[in-house]
Amino acid sequence: MSITYQEALNNYQPLERREPAVETLSTEELLQQYHPDHYKDAATTLQVGPNRGDQCHHQLADMLQADARIDEADLAGARTRQTDVLVIGGGGAGCAAALVAAKAGARVTLATKLRLGDSNTVMAEGGIQASVEKDDTPQAHYQDTLKAGHFHADKELVASMASDAPEVIRWLIQQGMQFDLDKFGDIMLRRAGGTTADRIAYYRDYTGLEMMRVLRESVKNSNIEVLDYSPAVELMSNQSGRCAGAVISNLKECTFELIKANAVIIATGGIGRMHLNDFPTSNHFGATGDGLVLAYRLGAKMLDLDSFQYHPTGLAHPHHLAGSLITEGIRSAGTYLLNSEGNRFVDELKTRDHVSSAILKECTEGRGIQVGDQATGVWLDTPGLELRNPGLIAQKFPKLVQLGKKCDIDLTTTPLLVYPTLHYQNGGVQIDKNGLSTVPGLYCVGEVSGGIHGRNRIMGNALLDIICFGRRAGAHAAECNRRPGHKKISIEHLSSLRRNLTMAKMPMEQKGPMLFPECAKFEDDSDYDGLHKNRNRKISTT
Amino acid sequence: MEELNQVLLRKEVRVGADLDVWLEHGGGEGLKAALQDPTAIIPQIKEAGLRGLGGSGFPTYKKWEFVAGNHGEEKYLICNGNEDEPGTFKDCILLEETPHQVIEGAVIAALATGINQIVFYINPDQEASIASMREAVEQWKASELNQAVTKAIGEEMGYRVMASSGHYIGGEETAAIESVEGKFPFPRGRPPFPAESGVHGKPTLVNNIETLSNVSHILRNGAEWYRNLGIDDTYGTKIYCLSGDVLYPGAYELPMGTRLADLIETYGGGMLQGKFLKAVFTGGPSNTILTPKHLDVHLDFDSVAERRSALGTGAMIVVSEGTGIVKRVTEYVNFFAASSCGQCPPCKTGTYYISLLLSKIDTGQGSRADLDSLINLCKILPNSGRCHLINGAVKVLDSSLYHFMDEYKQAIK
Repeated sequence: MSITYQEALNNYQPLERREPAVETLSTEELLQQYHPDHYKDAATTLQVGPNRGDQCHHQLADMLQADARIDEADLAGARTRQTDVLVIGGGGAGCAAALVAAKAGARVTLATKLRLGDSNTVMAEGGIQASVEKDDTPQAHYQDTLKAGHFHADKELVASMASDAPEVIRWLIQQGMQFDLDKFGDIMLRRAGGTTADRIAYYRDYTGLEMMRVLRESVKNSNIEVLDYSPAVELMSNQSGRCAGAVISNLKECTFELIKANAVIIATGGIGRMHLNDFPTSNHFGATGDGLVLAYRLGAKMLDLDSFQYHPTGLAHPHHLAGSLITEGIRSAGTYLLNSEGNRFVDELKTRDHVSSAILKECTEGRGIQVGDQATGVWLDTPGLELRNPGLIAQKFPKLVQLGKKCDIDLTTTPLLVYPTLHYQNGGVQIDKNGLSTVPGLYCVGEVSGGIHGRNRIMGNALLDIICFGRRAGAHAAECNRRPGHKKISIEHLSSLRRNLTMAKMPMEQKGPMLFPECAKFEDDSDYDGLHKNRNRKISTT
Repeated sequence: MEELNQVLLRKEVRVGADLDVWLEHGGGEGLKAALQDPTAIIPQIKEAGLRGLGGSGFPTYKKWEFVAGNHGEEKYLICNGNEDEPGTFKDCILLEETPHQVIEGAVIAALATGINQIVFYINPDQEASIASMREAVEQWKASELNQAVTKAIGEEMGYRVMASSGHYIGGEETAAIESVEGKFPFPRGRPPFPAESGVHGKPTLVNNIETLSNVSHILRNGAEWYRNLGIDDTYGTKIYCLSGDVLYPGAYELPMGTRLADLIETYGGGMLQGKFLKAVFTGGPSNTILTPKHLDVHLDFDSVAERRSALGTGAMIVVSEGTGIVKRVTEYVNFFAASSCGQCPPCKTGTYYISLLLSKIDTGQGSRADLDSLINLCKILPNSGRCHLINGAVKVLDSSLYHFMDEYKQAIK
């Protein structure tokens, strides 16, 4: 059985050298047996929509096959805005798309559920991949990405991303983003798990935060109209099924608004807050998979809906910070993972799915460290790193040190307890190299899209993906200005959704998109979208 | 599903661009009958009581007689498949799945009226229809039947499949003529009527795809047979395009005069999620409203007209309780405003102004004066344009004011 936290801490000794792990299972066997994607009762088959018949995680399936939040009646008297390009989502992908579309001369409106920059982008710590070193090539980047994704990714998308990468770095620098530089002023690079070259450009251990800082400033300094606290609750389409805007719920004024647009870019991020398989998540408050639901209803095809990434090093203790991400950079820098017996059990620089599965294996087989009833984990041996490279942690990982302080742990002497955390949705909306989904006029970029990373993503490709495809979608969507306007815009696709749900005998009790995670729904009201509650409050105070 | 009295959408005729299969299932027989005595065609169509199924309900034989009576070196038939009204999707099915039925009907019409140039004029968004027609026309040109036609009229019949401009207004008779001439589809003033001076000043017949599709069957089976297809005093069948909040939307070919309740309940599978019916918009150029008290109405031109509404193209857009009528009407009027060609000032500014007032009322900014303006506009605008577009916009507004005045009153400040 696992030993307790205190016991394990007493047994622990910082050592400079430890023997490399001897792994008995191949990657494939390890994943089959221990990766949460392969849990037996996790999957279900989709009954309606463009992916009917595909396997999908049952929690996500419930959302994709949920009833809509709104009805025609809700739109009576709703205010209408007109724009060229509507961007839904205020993270990195959304901002990049909006900036490029605006630069290309389009009128751009950006609606975000929370505030501009409230996103997973700011949490990205490790860095961004780009083959900018002189002996590295986009070809090598392409091959590493494909291999890590178990050759499941769309080759055209990967090729676009790998070849765009150096240009993406240049664009980010133009926007004002900083990278850690060496004494010659060159961008410093480090190596990600599962890659063949040092390819990760980074800024300390808060690359995403730095990226979002400049993107947000750029958006603020542009003519992009930003709507805060305005989650999209439904998309609209024109007479021929082309996406033609969205219905947003204005949380401040408790009203619905219609935004008509020539093109819509969904950049709503991932699904971490659905807490699949009851895993903790590293994702931010808003990552509830809204974009997936909206796009699916309008008929966009999805890819790999049963594939998610569990980041190996989520914090497991203390409980209130469970799921917080510990950057992969710390493993790149040479930190080991240790089981309760003080042994390495995995090559820490293997791909994330491999390392996560190895941790789950240790915990299942009783070599984990137990805290209380629920949390288990393994050691992240930061004191060992400190012995090998004194001062490195303090210098390169200020955010991690800060996290240590929050946990009341001195990283240089005490290891952190880590456990896999639900981190990233590998699949998503199927897109082409311009970010265009299978629905005309509807673009999906960032985590909401699929096909770029296959069934496993390597570190640093997420930040690259959002900027690369964000820019591509923005540029392509701005072209829509040249199309003639829509003749008729409606939410008629909801009739067909309800028709299909009725005919498939689905319960239709749940309503989607989710908008807010379960923990935010204080009242016993599954229909909570901020509106109903506030409406009631409004009435009671007057 | 009951398949009583189906003609145009029978399984056997929905064979796509395949002439051999079409001929196997009785295709070509109508044309052969027509070739024996072309002068007997119009009387037979007259006896069958075929009417324009593109929305007007105008007796087909009358149009044909006008054209037959005008002579010219070239005479044109435009087979109108521009179909762009909200809720209408019948012509595209006929064009895509039964192209030879359309062609044969068109050729018979040409024989009857002395026409030697046939143009299939199709909405560019219906790419499948265009492709299917192109293939079918090639098959047709090489067929023996076409040789027989050449022999009968003494020259090669000209066929052309063209994509229309994609503008709604392009479906109007004279606008279609402009389009065929290669110009922007501005409707023309009348007279001269197309039957006298249409494409390039030549006599021109414009018929809807559904109308033409019926022709070969009438020639083959006789007028009596066609008359008996309808319910009571009506003749033939109609393709109803059922959409909106019903369980099974789709195109249903039913006897002309089928009751609205039957269409919704029997064929549409009832209201979606068991909601209550609020209204039915009959789509097309004469976009008007039927309400639950009209559920017993027989869906034919005359019975629907008696209820202050119009059958139009046979589009039935069903809306359930909970749908805002003002919003829906605003959307339709916006459609007309955006579709106005801008030629006639009353239409250009009238549709715009109605749309503006409706948007104002719909968003809760309207006043009693705005509503009064709308009521007045309904009186002064009709028939103020060259074509019927302005009438379409006014009709839907007028009809909604008549049936749902309460909702407008609630919406104003």
